[in-house]
Amino acid sequence: MASREEIISTVKEFLSEEFEVEKSTIEPEANLQETLDLDSLDYVDLVVVIEENFGFKVTGEDFVDIVTFNDFYGLVEKKLAEK
Amino acid sequence: MLLTKEETADIIPQKTPFVMIDSLLAVDEMSFTSSFIVDEKNIFYKDGELKEPALIENIAQTVAAGFSYIGQQDGGEPKIGFIGAISKLKIHKLPNVGDEITTTVTQQHKFENIYLIKGENHVNGSPLVECEMKIVVQV
Repeated sequence: MASREEIISTVKEFLSEEFEVEKSTIEPEANLQETLDLDSLDYVDLVVVIEENFGFKVTGEDFVDIVTFNDFYGLVEKKLAEK
Repeated sequence: MLLTKEETADIIPQKTPFVMIDSLLAVDEMSFTSSFIVDEKNIFYKDGELKEPALIENIAQTVAAGFSYIGQQDGGEPKIGFIGAISKLKIHKLPNVGDEITTTVTQQHKFENIYLIKGENHVNGSPLVECEMKIVVQV
């Protein structure tokens, strides 16, 4: 299973590429939606890159409590543990 | 063929002269297929070719027809979808009068009521236009 550091590194890599943001803006306590400038359509792209990189699917419900990148890393850890 | 030209026209929101699909040929959970014959009276027919907007609209209307068909089969109202975004658009070739276009759309991903689909249309196996679309389906 991937460590937290590995997850963070992978996430930074694909999010910065997909949403064209600097890796340095992806800070643990930064707001995910605001940092990536996500609208509702962009969440489809987020779902696609998550599945491509980690091999699991996410639903809208999964995002309900996701505010910061730290929350997002926690979601990835949880989903990977469930696989 | 699943639906004739008249039946297909009845289940999509677009009306003449903006209808860019004739018949719904096949529908399953992940893909829809339609056909469309190029007519010289088409509003997007110019200089001997059917122009790109018609082919993009053809893909979108195939999605609309497929979702409506599924909605009807489920005993409910036809579902209405809106194009949210178009990406990865490639134009290979434009068709001529009398060409029969076969269009296939395949669901790539779904997130809540937003579908990411890949659409492509062909004439005799030669690709015309391919693209991805995000379709927001009204719930």
